[in-house]
Amino acid sequence: MAFLLRRLAFYLAAFLAAATINFFLPRIMPGDPIQIMFASAGSELSLENLNALKLTFGFIDAPLHEQYFSYLKSVFTGDLGRSIKYFPLPVTELLGRALVWTLGLVGIATLLSFTLGTFMGVMAAWRRGTRFDSIVSLSAIFSSSVPAVVISLIVLFVFGYTLRWFPNGYAADPMLDPGFTWDYIRSVLYHGTLPLLTLVIALSGGFAVTMRNNMINLLGEDYIVMGRAKGLSDKNVMLWYAARNALLPTVSSLAIAIGTILSGSLIIEVVFNYPGLGNTLYQAILARDYPVIQGQLLIMTAAMLVSNFVVDLSYVLLDPRLKKA
Amino acid sequence: MPLIRQLLHNKKALVGLTILTLIVLIAIFAPLLTEYSPVRRVGRPHQPPSWEHWLGTTRLGHDVFSRLIHGARVSLAVGFGAGLLITVIGTILGIIAGYKGGWIDEVINFFTNMVLVIPNLPLLLVLAAFIGQASPLVIAIILGLTSWAWGVRVTRSETLSIRQRDYVKSAEMLGEPSWRIMAFEIFPNLISIVGINFIGSVIFAVIAEATLEFLGLGDPNTVSWGIMLYNAQNASALSVGAWWDLLSPCLALALLGLSLALINFAIDEIANPRLRTGGMLNRWTRLVHAGEGKL
Repeated sequence: MAFLLRRLAFYLAAFLAAATINFFLPRIMPGDPIQIMFASAGSELSLENLNALKLTFGFIDAPLHEQYFSYLKSVFTGDLGRSIKYFPLPVTELLGRALVWTLGLVGIATLLSFTLGTFMGVMAAWRRGTRFDSIVSLSAIFSSSVPAVVISLIVLFVFGYTLRWFPNGYAADPMLDPGFTWDYIRSVLYHGTLPLLTLVIALSGGFAVTMRNNMINLLGEDYIVMGRAKGLSDKNVMLWYAARNALLPTVSSLAIAIGTILSGSLIIEVVFNYPGLGNTLYQAILARDYPVIQGQLLIMTAAMLVSNFVVDLSYVLLDPRLKKA
Repeated sequence: MPLIRQLLHNKKALVGLTILTLIVLIAIFAPLLTEYSPVRRVGRPHQPPSWEHWLGTTRLGHDVFSRLIHGARVSLAVGFGAGLLITVIGTILGIIAGYKGGWIDEVINFFTNMVLVIPNLPLLLVLAAFIGQASPLVIAIILGLTSWAWGVRVTRSETLSIRQRDYVKSAEMLGEPSWRIMAFEIFPNLISIVGINFIGSVIFAVIAEATLEFLGLGDPNTVSWGIMLYNAQNASALSVGAWWDLLSPCLALALLGLSLALINFAIDEIANPRLRTGGMLNRWTRLVHAGEGKL
């Protein structure tokens, strides 16, 4: 319990740090911070609307620390300002809509690639030095070094443009009405295949090699030798003695990988024109819509912290030593 | 240097080093390898690869091959420059935290963990967006200043275990100053970890630069692989069938990344003999498990 509370306090501090970066960035840039933040609006915003925005971002006639608390107050009450490109639309609503698609994509991709990668890693460690092992190593080298943007462009070129097996954009057929109809769900799955495939290609190798290396470091342990000495079958020793213990550090590497996964999905969404956070952000970057760009940092940080906390929880479940402490 | 000698005997490292050397040589001698300027209009727009234009032309009529080999200079410079910065910061902070311990360790460790949970790409996007059109130099600097946390974590945990060794204890007994112990007793034993961190950071920087530029945060007048991707994407290269425009920088980035990752895997194998595949280890396991079936 104390462990989890300590983690929670730490996550709060990390979130505060992200908000602090947001607060100071426009203020340390050369030039007028208000001008920088809302320049893309031109003269379209009425004075009243502009004043409301200024208040949200802490641009008030007061000393710096009061401005800072004013900004933090908006952030912690869930007010991230309004998008300038889509004016009256609040940033939270714009990003919230997009987040649903991103979380769906990232969630499924993480589950698939973690399962696939871990399984591949177990097999590779057990059959160390065989051809299967080299294939796993090579796929890990590949996924750790080839940029997500490159993988997705190549997947798009091969399956989207050359073979024409899958669509080149959107989350579903724009002609269909969203809803829980079979047609719509099928369309979502069909449109999601390529982004999902790209993420799984980009991620599985990394999980596989982490698991493989953890397994190999354990294979020399006494209890593995004991298991073999007891005459247990290879499969039993592999799954219940080695893999079970090797899973622990793999899960903690998952916590660190979540940032990479989210970043990867941002890029992939841009390439596949998928309506998630990445694409929304891309549009915001092109329009220099700063409230949205700042809002995504907070939302991504929050997503990262929540998933880290979930990993912490699962760590407590997997490692009985932590439960007692 | 035993590490370098061992690297030259490792198949993965050899392949990686060969490709990397080739890319570096091409980047250095780029102006001698092509008659075309990378920034001038030298042909009709979107010409497919031909004898005149080996990799075709862009929508603006630039020669893709010329832009590719000139762009290699930027990718390498940003990669190695930012990689060096990341490694220097990470190694120094990691050794200090691990060796000094106490409140210094706690402060460094706290900030390291905090930087690790703030997602890197979104942070870079916010920074770059406020800077406007970031030149490669600016990109390298912001990469260097935001991405050192991983290096600190790895170096620190390794320093913690080295600190307990006898030779460090005896140096302390002799009254050596702590900066000397950190620089001459601890650092030399971290060489393989620092090497892995450096090459990993170079890969990261190459990828991050290309990504930021692809997303439109770079300076569009730069000749670099990321800007090539950005221009090709804006010219809808794939939907008009000009695949050479987009795939050339893609393959170049993949090749550079792969060569670096191969070298990194080789260093990892040499530093962690248990991970090694093939050769001696195979013979050893075969001896140990003779008659036991498969392992």
